[in-house]
Order: sequence, then C-alpha cells, then structure tokens
Amino acid sequence: MSLLSVQNLKMHFPVRGGVFYTTQAVCKAVDGVSFELKAGETLGLVGESGCGKSTVARSVVRLLKPTSGNVVFNGHDISTQSQSALRSQRREMQMIFQDPAESLNPRHTIGQILEEPFIIQKLGTRAERAEWSVELLKRVGLPADAMFRYSFEFSGGQRQRIGIARAIALNPKLIVCDEPVSALDVSVQSQVLNLLLELQRDMGLSYLFIAHGLNVVKHMSDRVAVMYLGKIVELAPATELYQNPRHAYTKALLDAIPIADPTQRRERQLLRGDVPSPINPPAGCAFGHRMKHPKWEQSVGMDLTLKEISPGHFVQPCPCCT
Amino acid sequence: MPTPLLEVRNLRVGFQTDEGLLTAVDDVDFILEAGKTLGVVGESGCGKSVTAMSLMRLLPQPAGRILSGEVLLEGRDLTKLPIEAMRKIRGNDIAMIFQEPMTALNPVQPVGMQIIEAIQLHEPTTPAKALRRAVELMEWVGIPAPEQRVNEYPHQLSGGMRQRVMIAMALSCHPKVLIADEPTTALDVTVQAQILDLLKRLQNETGMAVILITHDLGVIAETCDDVAVMYAGRIVERGPVYPIFAKPQHPYTQGLIRCLPKLDHPPKTTLPVIPGMVPSLRDMPAGCRFAARCPNPHSTDVLNTRQPWKECGSGHGVEACACFASQISAS
Repeated sequence: MSLLSVQNLKMHFPVRGGVFYTTQAVCKAVDGVSFELKAGETLGLVGESGCGKSTVARSVVRLLKPTSGNVVFNGHDISTQSQSALRSQRREMQMIFQDPAESLNPRHTIGQILEEPFIIQKLGTRAERAEWSVELLKRVGLPADAMFRYSFEFSGGQRQRIGIARAIALNPKLIVCDEPVSALDVSVQSQVLNLLLELQRDMGLSYLFIAHGLNVVKHMSDRVAVMYLGKIVELAPATELYQNPRHAYTKALLDAIPIADPTQRRERQLLRGDVPSPINPPAGCAFGHRMKHPKWEQSVGMDLTLKEISPGHFVQPCPCCT
Repeated sequence: MPTPLLEVRNLRVGFQTDEGLLTAVDDVDFILEAGKTLGVVGESGCGKSVTAMSLMRLLPQPAGRILSGEVLLEGRDLTKLPIEAMRKIRGNDIAMIFQEPMTALNPVQPVGMQIIEAIQLHEPTTPAKALRRAVELMEWVGIPAPEQRVNEYPHQLSGGMRQRVMIAMALSCHPKVLIADEPTTALDVTVQAQILDLLKRLQNETGMAVILITHDLGVIAETCDDVAVMYAGRIVERGPVYPIFAKPQHPYTQGLIRCLPKLDHPPKTTLPVIPGMVPSLRDMPAGCRFAARCPNPHSTDVLNTRQPWKECGSGHGVEACACFASQISAS
C-alpha cells in the first residue's frame, strides 16, 4: 500500500474584484492531479513557475484545504479531517521550504525552533527536549552550540540544515521539500542534497521533491511527474523520463536545461511564449494550445486522464503532444 | 598588440564598514575583446557583482570605492573620469541588465515611457520619433504586439518579457559592452533558454561584447567564449571555455564542476562536495583563499603568501597554489 495517495486533487482559487468584490473568475492552480508515493520513495515534481507544483505541496500537507479530491496519507483522508485530527497526522508529515531565512523565526534561538515540534506534540520534559535538539543538530552536521544562536547568524546552507533538523524532529514518514536547494550556491547545494539522501536511507523517509532545477530533481528522485498548468502531463521513473520523454512539454523542458559542457552545445527548439495563466485555462491540452498545434482541437473534450504506455510510464494521451 | 575593448587591471574594491575596510574585490584583472562573451562565475559573495558595479562606477555610496587598479575602455581609464563624463559612458558605451527586472523597472510608469526616457537621455530626438524607436526596439527583442505593450506597466508583463524590456532599454544606444548580472537566474529554464538565445542573436547583430555574470556553469558552458572563475574576491582561474571545462586546474573550479548533479549521473548517489564555506571578508588569508576547503594536502605557507599566477597555454591561466602547481599540465 502506498504511503500517500493523491486522487484527482483540485485547488481552485476565486479571483475577486469589482465593486462588490464578487468572484469574477476562477484560478485553477491545481486541476485534477493524481499520484501515489510509496514508503522510502522520492517523487520529483517539476514544471515552470505558476504550474501549481507548490500548491500541490501545500495541499498535500493541508496548509491549503483542497477544493475537491482526496489526499490519503497513511490510511487517513487528510483533505477532510478536522484540525485536531490532523495534528496527529502532522507528526508524520513535514515540510522543508525554499528560503530557510523566511521559514525560521528570527526572534527564536535555534534551540527554541527545534524544541517547538516537541512542545506542540506534548513530548518530553524540558531537559529531554534540549537533549533531542542537540541530537538533531548533530544529525544534520551542525555544532551543539548552535542551540543558543539565532538563524541570522548562519549561512544559507546552515539555515537549510536547521530547516531539515526541524522537519525530521518528530521522525516523520513523509517530507515535502519545496525547492529546498534553489536558494543555495552550487557547492552548498550538493552538501544539502547529500544530507537529504543520507537521511532518507537511514530513516526510510519518503520525499515529495519539488524543484525547477531538472538536474537536481533527476538526481534525487525515483519517479518524476511533470506538471503543466495545474495538471500532470507525464509521470515516469526518473531515468526513463529523461531518456525517453513522450510528452512534447517534457521534451521542451529537458531540451532547455543548460549542459555544463561546452563540447555539447547545440541548437535548441525554443519554446515560444510564457506559461499561460491558470485563470480561464484553455480547453483540451493546454500545451498544445500554447504551441498552436494543428491537432490541438482534437484534444478538446477528450478524456485526458494519464495512460500507462509502458510499465510505470504515464502520459497524457492528447493527439497534439504525444 | 591592438588595444582590447575592455581591460581591467589589478582592480581592488573595498567597502568602508563599521568593522573597517573590507576588500570585496582583490586584484582582479581580465580582458574583454569586442564581440566576445566573458562569463564570470562564482558563488554568492565572491565579488562578481561588485566587479560589475565598479566597471560602471555604480558602487553603493559612500561606502564602496575603487581602491586601486584601472578599468580601460578602449584605452581610457574609467576609474579616473569625472562623474559627468562617466554618465556619458553609461548607456552609450557600457550598459547593464540585472537579475530581477521587477526591481530595476519603475513600477508606476509604462515600460514604453521608460525606454523612451533612456533614448532621450542619450540622443536629441522628438517624442514621436523616440516612441517609434521604442516600439522598434521592443519588436527587436522579441516582444509580441509592441504597439500595445509600450503602454503596459511592468506588473502586466511576465518575467521573461520584463527582462526583454530591460534588454531593449540597455541596447537603445548601441553600447559596446553589455554587462548582464545574473540575467536569467529568476527565470524558468524554458524562458532562460529564450533570453540567452536572444542575447546571442543581438550580439551577432550588433557586435557588442558581453560580460555574463552567473553562478550557473551550464549557462557559462553554453554561451561564453571565455570564463573567469572567482572565489572570495579573486579570479582563481581564467581562460577560454573549452580548456576550463575540459582541464580545470584549480581545485575550486574542479570542485564546482564535479559537484553539479549531471543528467547522466546514477540517481540517488552521493554527490561530490566542496566541504566548508567561503572565508569571511573580515579574515581573508593573504595567500590562497581556498586552502581551508581544498582537498589537496598543503602547508600553512600557502595561506600567508600570495600564490603566483601561472599561464598554462592558449590564454588559460590559474592562481597556482603550491599544493597543485607542480601538476599543472598545458592545455
């Protein structure tokens, strides 16, 4: 059984305006996303900004209440649970954010930050909590005296380590990583990625790993889902997806990655235009619409549920892009 | 030897702070030839943006100043120019684009007005002609429907379009040098590819030289002719892009290239790392600044004495720290 199962998740936001602040349009940030995540597995989520990847992340940990659809975690449907029932589930799922400077309270010492999850869950005495916090710091490669310092005293990489320490404090099963290394320098980035991999091996963690750096996602993930305008257009094992992309959007994304080897310079097929707005998205295949593909009209009204084309490799079956 | 378009010699830039004078750029030199692209790569705080700002003489005042060195544009030393003359150089000879166009553009003025302002500052022209020129420029940088876009505000444009507006503005007076400071860092890969492609096209059409500042080695490998690798305020390795990637000599360059996750790496394996962190500006060693993170065994002498610069052929040079100087092979 999978640890996390997301079924037809939709997250729509009303766009209000006008004199009476009425709903004038609906922003379909996430529009029918389904995937499974097994224990110990990493699912990568890629796509351009505005495609809904962070909204998926936030709905999965119920920082947002989905408009419809189910998020079944550990056998409980957390999309409908009450806040108090959620609290026990939250122990098991944590989140790491892009900018650790903004996700750590600047007025709390690192000790207070790390202790907070235990206090919320009413665990341990004060002495025990301090002891656990020191262990956590050691676990992520920081000295014990960091306990008494504030987050601004640390570099970006160290702050991200603190964010990771807080996330693993309660021994969770799932960590949602939303762009965990985007703000870091290359040399620090590999240190943090190694730490995440090591923790996964030791603690059996599952990751939902969101990043726009496709190389990073490939390196971290067992399977990768490609999102475009609120929908998953392709989902496959990482190596398979990168070697054998089937959807035109996946191909375009992969083609745009700069390769750090000047001998591999190439002429690219450039993608025209920007990601369209999820407010009033086009009918049918949104990417075919952007590319003005001659077969796009055929995709309007079609069932665009992902189809399995080879074991584990799912793709949106639109006539324009596959 | 003909005078190069832009030559920077022994540039040192410092900031006066509460803790005394901090040298952010220490003894940087490089040459930029007409029509070429020089990539400057390094991590945050290595001095790449400060170098760019000092070429334009746009250092934050009064704290920042050029301590010594020369910036020669076609043989003319920009560091000695009076402010008025420098103002003429900016835009006409050297222009700059920035990482976040949203903060560089005026949010309460239509983008067309901002381009027109740039044009009218530099050449006497009628408003109608300037407007026509702005529309042409916007079309040139690939903005669709420029006649409508001139009246739009920055927030109505996407990140990629905003960066195109910045480029149009920067190129309005045909500069000889364009400094692009992380121009694609805030953009998605697909839009990044569009912007890099645009810069290349415009460069081919105008023959301008580009200094491309980035932390992304992929971008460097794909777009630059030459590379300067900066670490802690100094250039540690410099040369044409091919030998730098094929035979990096400095352990820092080697480490940077190695620790990138590559598409053909086996997934979920431990990545090579550069341990530790950049030393603080407050206690920079006089000698090799990478020593504390260097994987090579070294004596403490390398920290105390400035390590010599060594050429290894065809323009490829490196700060040859004693820990690897004997192994330098010609490229």
